[in-house]
Amino acid sequence: MYRTLRLCSSGGGFEALPDPPRPLNLGRVRAALEAAGVSVIDARVMLIASLETEVTISRAGRLLFKTADPAAADRAFARLRPLLE
Amino acid sequence: MARGVMLMSGGIDSPVAMHYLLRQGHELLAVHMDNRPFTDDSPLSKVVDHLAILRERYHQPIPLYVVPHGTTQVTLMRETDRHVGCVLCRRFMWRSAERVAEREGATFLVTGEALGQVASQTLSNMRSATASVHLPIVRPLIGFDKQEIEAVAKSIGTYEISTRPGVCCQAVPDKPATRSNLVQILREEEQLDVEQMIDDCVRKAVIL
Repeated sequence: MYRTLRLCSSGGGFEALPDPPRPLNLGRVRAALEAAGVSVIDARVMLIASLETEVTISRAGRLLFKTADPAAADRAFARLRPLLE
Repeated sequence: MARGVMLMSGGIDSPVAMHYLLRQGHELLAVHMDNRPFTDDSPLSKVVDHLAILRERYHQPIPLYVVPHGTTQVTLMRETDRHVGCVLCRRFMWRSAERVAEREGATFLVTGEALGQVASQTLSNMRSATASVHLPIVRPLIGFDKQEIEAVAKSIGTYEISTRPGVCCQAVPDKPATRSNLVQILREEEQLDVEQMIDDCVRKAVIL
């Protein structure tokens, strides 16, 4: 579902989009994150998960990793991806 | 000269607006609404760097109030219509700035808004947002176009700071309202304990 991680348009973080586009059930994602011991803020239309870096998870499926360090984004992405699929 | 409170975002416009008022000799305080976790650390670090330049240039202390705004954003996202989220957000920013102004004996508020630049800066959205406060609002850049503002920012040395990489506000809805209706805005706020929310944020403000 998620294949690539790319620099976001403002250059301050990395983003991943579902391919093909697919909305997320944020309630289920939140439960999976919390079961894995990840702290989550639930803003209803998006979740903010505290992994190695903070990640915004939108209902449309967009993931935004708030770091300029590609290695840190990769590690957080690797941990998050199985929890979304 | 009068004392005012300036809303500083870390963007290109606000340090330019501040520059014009400082040049006239007004005394200013800065308020930064800290949008984390909907942004990263970059807006705050940009504001700190903008103020370092302006303090040195105008020999003014310019205290900076950093007001936490993330909790308010969560409440707005959970409890109100996303379509008008930017206007509601803006109303809370103005109220926080006004609260700081009252505390500091300031008599006006300042913003770097220029008409029509972004979704929150249409005339109807500005009206809906600023109806939340009583102090006069000064907008030194209201009729400027982006190129003019950027040229001034480059000349005063703030442009390079403003354009550093950073995560944009993630709370902005996909389709923000460009023509808001104040009646609807007030109805949305009926669901919220507005005064308590403002009290909580301003009480937790940090002065830098």
